[in-house]
Amino acid sequence: MIQDEVESQLSAMFDGELPQTECELLSRRIDRDENLRARWSRYALIGAAMRSEPVATARSGFARRVSAALRGAEHQPRLARGRKMLLSAALSASLVVTVAGVSISLLRGAAVDLGAGTVARTLGASGAAAGALPQAPTAGGQDAAILAHGAAAASVAAVRRGGNGEPVSYVTPVSMASGNTALRTELADLIVAHSEYSTPLMRRNVLSALVSNEDAADGASPGATATGMPANSPAAAFDATTAASTASR
Amino acid sequence: MGPDASDLSLVRRVQRGERGAYDLLVLKYQHKVVKLVMRYLRNPADAEDVAQEAFVKAYRALPQFRGDSAFYTWLYRIAINTAKNALAARERNPVSYELDLQNSDESSDMVSRLKDPETPEGLALTEEIRDTVNHAIEQLPEDLRTAIVLRELEGMSYEEIAASMDCPVGTVRSRIFRAREAIDRRLREVFDGGLGRTEELV
Repeated sequence: MIQDEVESQLSAMFDGELPQTECELLSRRIDRDENLRARWSRYALIGAAMRSEPVATARSGFARRVSAALRGAEHQPRLARGRKMLLSAALSASLVVTVAGVSISLLRGAAVDLGAGTVARTLGASGAAAGALPQAPTAGGQDAAILAHGAAAASVAAVRRGGNGEPVSYVTPVSMASGNTALRTELADLIVAHSEYSTPLMRRNVLSALVSNEDAADGASPGATATGMPANSPAAAFDATTAASTASR
Repeated sequence: MGPDASDLSLVRRVQRGERGAYDLLVLKYQHKVVKLVMRYLRNPADAEDVAQEAFVKAYRALPQFRGDSAFYTWLYRIAINTAKNALAARERNPVSYELDLQNSDESSDMVSRLKDPETPEGLALTEEIRDTVNHAIEQLPEDLRTAIVLRELEGMSYEEIAASMDCPVGTVRSRIFRAREAIDRRLREVFDGGLGRTEELV
């Protein structure tokens, strides 16, 4: 009896003659009752046959497949949205890493280039000054030394970074109380930094010369070096280093 | 309420978020849409795939459906366009079908051919459905036959039929239901009698 009433409601709903509230209840029932679904589909087939409309009997589960496709289509945008968010997060992260990497490389490259350029200038200036030293320090040599001093300080500042001011690519020599030795230490830092691109033998010579020179400088008068240059002159320091290096060989 | 109005009622429910109502529209029009698509794509399986795509497209576009035309007219256009696009895509990328003769199973092939509307068996099934329905209508009592004919062929609402037959609307509803039940009983016999289970229509 109840089933008859349900089927009567189904017929009325098929014709759009069932009240809205009853439609909603019946729809829920149809969704889980295969018999009612089949009946609904046959009602459509009966009407089409009466009107001589062309029909083809779809294979089993057609409507269920459409329903599944609709569920899939509803989930797709959500998945796509999630995938897009994940992708953008990954892109952002990789961008940050790339920028950081490039920045570090550029900073290191700039520091090393600057250091190398400064050392090259220093070497040139010192060479010129050394040639003039036996007689007297020339004005050009002094200028070169001053320039080299300024450039060396700048390059050391560029090489050093971080809150503690520790250099990145080499070990800081033991700090000295004297201002003159501090300057030489900075210059030695620069040389050692540059020596990354030199042969190992050169690097060893420079380091050993630095050590012996510092010892000699500590024992000598603070005002002047063996060459007669002021002790705080980088050119003199380098000259002393070179001399010590030659002596050590 | 005529057939268009009953579809519109379902459409409005879908537009309010009731997807089950769309399921009823699919069940209602699947036979016609598959048949329509088969005019373009001869392969029944392809036709069903395209029909399914058409229903999915229609569902997505349904929020924009204003009811200016009948739902089936609107669905018909979507199905035709989807079928034409599928046909054009196939012409651009022709697919070669390979027959796996070694794994062919004669019995399962027979079952699939019985379900195939384009095969002679499928056409015979469609013809048999039509004959059965018409024969069942002829055998209906006069009041039931009149009620179902006015509804299905004339598209009259229950109220209009009630006015025409000079009876209450409730009686019209009962007559139409009983007429459908009588026809459906004969139809189930057709399906149960050798051409497959009735659930296959769902």
